[in-house]
Amino acid sequence: MNAPDRYERFVVPEGTKKVSYERDTKIINAASFTIEREEHTIGNILRMQLHRDPNVLFAGYKLPHPLQYKIIVRIHTTSQSSPMQAYNQSINDLDRELDHLKSAFEAEMLKFSRDY
Amino acid sequence: MEGGVSYARMPRVKIRELKDDYAKFELRDTDASIANALRRVMIAEVPTVAIDLVEIEVNSSVLNDEFIAHRLGLIPLTSERAMSMRFSRDCDACDGDGQCEFCSVEFHLRVKCMTDQTLDVTSKDLYSSDPTVSPVDFSDPSATDSDNNRGIIIVKLRRGQELKLRAIARKGIGKDHAKWSPAATVTFMYEPEIHINEDLMETLTLEEKREWVDSSPTRVFEIDPVTQQVMVVDAEAYTYDDEVLKKAEAMGKPGLVEIIARQDSFIFTVESTGAVKASQLVLNAIEILKQKLDAVRLSEDTVEADDQFGELGAHMRGG
Repeated sequence: MNAPDRYERFVVPEGTKKVSYERDTKIINAASFTIEREEHTIGNILRMQLHRDPNVLFAGYKLPHPLQYKIIVRIHTTSQSSPMQAYNQSINDLDRELDHLKSAFEAEMLKFSRDY
Repeated sequence: MEGGVSYARMPRVKIRELKDDYAKFELRDTDASIANALRRVMIAEVPTVAIDLVEIEVNSSVLNDEFIAHRLGLIPLTSERAMSMRFSRDCDACDGDGQCEFCSVEFHLRVKCMTDQTLDVTSKDLYSSDPTVSPVDFSDPSATDSDNNRGIIIVKLRRGQELKLRAIARKGIGKDHAKWSPAATVTFMYEPEIHINEDLMETLTLEEKREWVDSSPTRVFEIDPVTQQVMVVDAEAYTYDDEVLKKAEAMGKPGLVEIIARQDSFIFTVESTGAVKASQLVLNAIEILKQKLDAVRLSEDTVEADDQFGELGAHMRGG
């Protein structure tokens, strides 16, 4: 009756941007990214990848409320970098890693079916 | 893009078992966040096709319409084509109606019992408008008896009873409804690293060794009958229950064994419902994860926002 539609959890509503950026007004090189309609799947890999960047001083994410279908990723970097740069870098690195994983799995599939 | 510095890893994969509905493989040189993301995507975000709308013309069976419709929705349908299909709500060919060839598949079921024998209506009685999307076949190819027609039973009909319906199957993901999940289950475990302290072990008598080995509910350790030494026979049987550690402590030998979960090695078990092959399920999950990453990239107008301070911004960044 008054339950929200299930697709609201993963369809970005019209007029809303998937990712928005908000600079921290108190700390230099700190910012928050709000990602709509995502949860721990993306948040966790993004955070862990950001931790591997030596220019990142702080990286964390949170789901503000279970009925607000978004995550807020907070990034604080050194002066050698910027939150936007670190964010883009982490996504590119994750993309590269997944490309490699896909190739490795496909190669292993071929090898396995040949040995069988 | 950013001038060559990269912190991407190079994961390694080794497949141990591979069947149509089951896969077991090792994933190394990555961390738990990637493994868990893959697991979550395989369970809830890889798209498949499932019956979503049922129009019942005739139903004189003992089950009511809603019950039969629910059972139809849970039948796994072969979904090799699902990745390239459109979601009904995004389809512009049928204006969101969800019944055109690009975003749906039509099924028909027409069965009437004409004999005194009870008639089983199964998933094999469903006729699809698209041969690539059909109920999953659970027959065992090696069996030859007539009981091998193992469709999923939808309802049983007695003499004179009839069932006639039309069903529309659509693309969806497990996050919306579990009927769209292609995975029966997906699990991964950390690979355990087990080190036995040989000096402490030598202070035990054979009887004490036997007692300690038997304290594990799964068979992880064994005593070599020749040398009387305790050795690890199956490290992966360890269930992280700490029983052998407690036993060692109770015997006054803390530190007898050290068991660490390796943080960069995972053993995946993927069991598919049959809608998608287990190997294809893993590849689809990687593809979906890449699509999600593309979706969360910063758009062009967001990047411009960072330049609002112009040279002051560059100065603040120390460049």
